[in-house]
Amino acid sequence: MQPVRIALAQVAPRLGDLEANLARHAELIDEARGSGAGLVVFPELGLTGYLLQDLAADVAMRLDDPRLASLAEATRGLSVVVSFVEESADHRLFIAAALLEDGELRHVHRKVHLPTYGMFDERRFFAPGDTLRAVPSRLGAGLGLAVCEDFWHLSTPQVLALDGAQLLVNVSSSPGRDLARTHEVGLGTATSWRTLMRTYAQLTTSFVVFCNRVGVDESLSFWGGSEVIAPTGAAVFSAPMFDEGLFCVDIDLADVRRERIALPLLRDERPELVAREWRRLIAERAGLAADSTADDGAAPGFDVAPER
Amino acid sequence: MTGTAEPLFVLPGELAIDTDVARQVIGAFIQGQLRQAGFERAILGLSGGIDSALVAYLVAEAIGAERLLCLSMPYRTSSASSRTDAASVVAALGCAFETVDISPMVDAYFASEPDAAPLRRGNFMARQRMAVLYDRSVTWRGLVVGTGNKTESLIGYTTLFGDSACAFNPIGDLYKSQVRQLSAAIGVPEAIIRKAPSADLWPGQTDETEAGFSYPELDRLLFWRIDMRRSVEELVAKGFERATVERVDRMVAGAEFKRQVPPIAKLGPRTAGVDYLYPRRRPGSAAGS
Repeated sequence: MQPVRIALAQVAPRLGDLEANLARHAELIDEARGSGAGLVVFPELGLTGYLLQDLAADVAMRLDDPRLASLAEATRGLSVVVSFVEESADHRLFIAAALLEDGELRHVHRKVHLPTYGMFDERRFFAPGDTLRAVPSRLGAGLGLAVCEDFWHLSTPQVLALDGAQLLVNVSSSPGRDLARTHEVGLGTATSWRTLMRTYAQLTTSFVVFCNRVGVDESLSFWGGSEVIAPTGAAVFSAPMFDEGLFCVDIDLADVRRERIALPLLRDERPELVAREWRRLIAERAGLAADSTADDGAAPGFDVAPER
Repeated sequence: MTGTAEPLFVLPGELAIDTDVARQVIGAFIQGQLRQAGFERAILGLSGGIDSALVAYLVAEAIGAERLLCLSMPYRTSSASSRTDAASVVAALGCAFETVDISPMVDAYFASEPDAAPLRRGNFMARQRMAVLYDRSVTWRGLVVGTGNKTESLIGYTTLFGDSACAFNPIGDLYKSQVRQLSAAIGVPEAIIRKAPSADLWPGQTDETEAGFSYPELDRLLFWRIDMRRSVEELVAKGFERATVERVDRMVAGAEFKRQVPPIAKLGPRTAGVDYLYPRRRPGSAAGS
């Protein structure tokens, strides 16, 4: 047995009000500690709110910001994932998720995939991160941090799991939409996310920890529904949709070993084959290599010619 | 009488929503809008029709009926049933209610414009109601809640700076058929759900005779064309009449300006809506903060 209690802080951040959100985070970290949690997870941009637009620069923090250091100070004896706007030394703004442990900033993940389509406009205001790294934690398991849209790209969970993550932690500000009655839980967004998370947990034989915010920014209502999924793909816990709360979930990290022995999918991954094929694809798309299997008239790197 | 009861409303299958989730989202939306603006109360124009009746129920459910003021603003030709239907909503909810007769102000203006066509008069009345609503919002200390639905917004069946003016709109992304579905779920009186929708701009007017199609048909068309991004050809293949689809397309395109903030000539370094982009409410925005 390697029991860990996870506290999902399904909060409704105040848009642009860093001080209020910092105070709320500190309160909830204390409450989680009191509940015996080992890992506390806050949602994407939990310290700032989501729909910032030009406020992003006003609420940005450098990694050496004393306010971040004080928050880290509150994490003694705990692993805590928080999210905020990070300003780099060269003044780029990132949507960041940080692992704070035992009073220190242990790791920062900068959101790699910034949705800029439909209702989203993130690339206008933020720079994308360039790295995906699993990180060891005081829990005795590797963590893989990802932010919302990062999980809408297959490579994210795969790279993180191959890099040593046993817990994939996704922090989100996912706005709910599509109320068609046919959806499993009455919300199209929730149905899609639930499918993704179960699939990733099973295919990476890892725990998936999903913390999504609630509350309203402008037109957008964030749907919560935070979850913990076991390495088998089965849901361990599903938080209610739309309700604010600190939800505690007990898991056994030994389930990762059991599942990976029974179902050695990660052992059988072929990263060298994937890397080789991706290098080929990149060269073909750039017109630097001929595509031996392509139709006549196909665009570089795309094997199928357009319909005539 | 045939013996079989008419259904309360027609709901095309693809438009059916989960009304519990809708009430949850809309309730939190109303609370969030008020809190972020620093207000505790709301005000709306209650016409006796289904849209404003539904919004009254939703607001009462979200913040309590005691924080809602419904204003009835009839003109002298407004139908008597509109007033009794509005009264039935107020009686059911127990919210504050006032009547402001807009006839004197409207008639004073048109006394010198005797030949004004009904459309001009109707638009003027809608804007007069807006002016009254915004004035009373000050004394009530509440935000004006919009009551327009997605169907009328898309086809432009609204008065610019009239009925479309509001601080926020909880039902602007619901088609008329979905307004009916949600109204039935939340308990809006059956008489209001059943009656033919009307802007009540002149006696006997109904939306559907004026526009030339039924709401369930129009809602389906708009849903497939806009939400599901289907082409005209694909809609025709689904059984819609080409002429109808093309006519609705023109109405939607022609009303684009009604759904947007007017453009400002770009001159300075930062221009509102262009490259000065802030949320409507941010720290410091709330009244009394």
